[in-house]
Amino acid sequence: MTRVTVFDYGAGNLHSLVKALEAGGATVVLERDAAALGTATAIVLPGVGAFAPAAAARARGLDVVRASVDRGTPVLGICLGLQLLAESSDEGAGAGLGVMAGRVERLEAARVPQIGWNAIESPRDPLLASAQLDEAYYANSYVVRPTRPEQVVAWSTHEHDRFAAVMRVGRTVGVQFHPEKSSRAGLSFVRAWVEEAAA
Amino acid sequence: MLTRRVLVCLDVRDGRVVKGARFVELRDIGDPAALAEHYEAEGADEIVFLDVSASADGRGTLLDTVRQTSERLFIPLTVGGGVRSVDDVGRALRAGADKVAINSAAVARPELLTESAAQFGRQCVVASIDARREGAAWLVWTHGARTRTELDAVAWAQECVARGAGEILLTSIDRDGARTGYDLALTRAVADTVPVPVIASGGAGTPSHLVSAIQAGGADAVLVAGIVHDGVHRVATCKDALRAAGMRVRAAA
Repeated sequence: MTRVTVFDYGAGNLHSLVKALEAGGATVVLERDAAALGTATAIVLPGVGAFAPAAAARARGLDVVRASVDRGTPVLGICLGLQLLAESSDEGAGAGLGVMAGRVERLEAARVPQIGWNAIESPRDPLLASAQLDEAYYANSYVVRPTRPEQVVAWSTHEHDRFAAVMRVGRTVGVQFHPEKSSRAGLSFVRAWVEEAAA
Repeated sequence: MLTRRVLVCLDVRDGRVVKGARFVELRDIGDPAALAEHYEAEGADEIVFLDVSASADGRGTLLDTVRQTSERLFIPLTVGGGVRSVDDVGRALRAGADKVAINSAAVARPELLTESAAQFGRQCVVASIDARREGAAWLVWTHGARTRTELDAVAWAQECVARGAGEILLTSIDRDGARTGYDLALTRAVADTVPVPVIASGGAGTPSHLVSAIQAGGADAVLVAGIVHDGVHRVATCKDALRAAGMRVRAAA
């Protein structure tokens, strides 16, 4: 069993994520103390809430995740979790972890937030291939504007705004969508990540 | 490009799904968690629980129902009905809701939308608006469409967005349960003036009504209840109709 630690910064719904990880073969630990994440063997930064409260949580110790990344610990950031892995955000005060090169900016579209199912374009990551994730569920107003496009392994487009759907740096993966809300293909993606984390 | 969404609404009373025509005449449909799972398998893009419980006890039951449902549901779940405070929003989210629909409480105190968005992000704040035609306009009604307000529905939708709502769930009281089609003029009036997704609700009788709500009404998403609960139409046939009209819809897994 792969033991996966989910950072619980108290903002919202973690039920589906926990169930999705368990369905993917993981044993899940919810951790409210960011400092304790440093000893985790695999980490999920979940995707609920707004950037500023989450960045404040970071100030209380989420920096340890940066050290985990540098040691090669598998990390999955979801939605806001991906944004925390970037360098900084327009949404609120506080800096990101700087694993992904880029800044978090508001979507440029007539309808924001982007809410609904969107196509995964130009996928080039084994996780996406094995999950056959063609469409995924999004609920976001902000996206990462990558400065190193080679870190982007899939894209999506809201109206005319193309943005990073999935980013990867080594064993750190960030997804702007919600795999735990993307029905069967989303569950397959989570399972593939759990299996990669165990390898 | 986003797909067009078909949302299935479950009216939940004391832990059971009921469906009222014109907000009355409740009758039992079934177990919410099992029905939600069934509709996910049929290709529903989201599930909406609207709590129509009469008592506080019933509302407590709803959070248990949300918890049971989120054990097995892997598409988004919106919960509404009786949400009065930021704490209520937090409780619903922690029980497993992804979004919370706020209706009467937002009319009573619009700051609730702002506070909820600041705490949890506007993507999880849905302004639920029940509107009834009066002359050339539509007025907002609250408390399960029993209480008339002086608010113009279109102006109120704009204020909700300005206050922090990330989505509008727009129900025509006139059409609710009538199965004569969505109120296209109402839907168009709101969709053209707010910069967030609009979900058309109330009046679906046939899959072609869903097509009209999007094409003529300008809705981003459509909500169905009675027509799928009764088995008159299936979620899949609803989505087939959208696809046949040239729209992108998500293929059911």
